[in-house]
Amino acid sequence: MRLPDPITFILLVSCVLFLGCSSESKSEKSTNEVILGKVELANGWARPAAKGQTSSIYLVITNGTASRDTLLGASSPISDVVELHQSIQHDDGTISMEQAGNQVIAAGEKLNLEPGGYHLMLKNINRELTVGDSLSVTLNFARVGSKTITVLTKTQQN
Amino acid sequence: MKNTAIKLLIAFSTAIILASCNSGPEPLYDLSDTSYPLRNIDSSRVYFPDDFEGEISVISFIFTHCPDVCPAITANMSNIQRGLKDTTDIQFIEISFDPQRDTPSVLKAYKKRYKLNDQFTFLTGQPETVDSLLKKMEIVAVKTFSDSLVQDSSNYNMRHSNTIYLMDKNGRIRAEYPASVIPPEHVIEDIQSLRNL
Ligand SMILES: [Cu+2]
Repeated sequence: MRLPDPITFILLVSCVLFLGCSSESKSEKSTNEVILGKVELANGWARPAAKGQTSSIYLVITNGTASRDTLLGASSPISDVVELHQSIQHDDGTISMEQAGNQVIAAGEKLNLEPGGYHLMLKNINRELTVGDSLSVTLNFARVGSKTITVLTKTQQN
Repeated sequence: MKNTAIKLLIAFSTAIILASCNSGPEPLYDLSDTSYPLRNIDSSRVYFPDDFEGEISVISFIFTHCPDVCPAITANMSNIQRGLKDTTDIQFIEISFDPQRDTPSVLKAYKKRYKLNDQFTFLTGQPETVDSLLKKMEIVAVKTFSDSLVQDSSNYNMRHSNTIYLMDKNGRIRAEYPASVIPPEHVIEDIQSLRNL
């Protein structure tokens, strides 16, 4: 096999770079290339729950892009209602849960969804979730659009 | 006559002081004089705290429609159990403050879902009975509705205390902790000192 001569090689590379940078490009998936960094979803897990009951999902959202982004909402095939909630501790020591509004995540910052704080609440789930089951959830951001993560059902250990 | 009264008074005070020295610091709540008829997950009648006397109890309060904090409380109870080298004479009790929805069978499913063993007892009961027990133990549980205009009678959340109690062998509450966040070691340490009383 013959290697391409240097000029052809440079032309090829430029072509690839040009295509990658062009937001007009229709070739394959261009969304990842137009963003400098990424919004990443990691460490996701869900709580077990019976069909018709409520589960919650925890995960870490990292905004690795150069601009702030806003979490607008979420959806999942397992529930018609997926809401971002926050558990709040009151002065008298009691705890309640409230729907949290859209969350702005600054560039380079994280939003932690963890027990006792923020969580995605899935109401009236359409199948049972037992330990080991997986499910997917899609988060919608103002800038980067939707991001999907598959999470496992487990019980909290710590 | 007056002398006898004074003697009696002294004897009585000494008895009280001795009794309290015998059993450590003053209890937070003494439940030993009342018994509350509740239901176990197989619907059988359980008297609380009578049926649990003779062993140390770790007690928490939950509702199973709670998707965030209550599972964290249950997980912490489980962590305390796992952290104990010796779990003899210890029992774990979770009392529902939502008897309207937490029937014995709902609690049975919850116990199974979280893979808890027979050292765990889940209790529910008649709303009035549960309410008077909660009042006695100063546990707060109030229904909250996400839409204040539509107060759907079965679709509600709850604002509630976040409490674990440690009850001694005689039905007296000895310590209280913030249930979902207390490091298990703290509770385990107190269990050890209760054992040594
Ligand atoms: Cu919630």
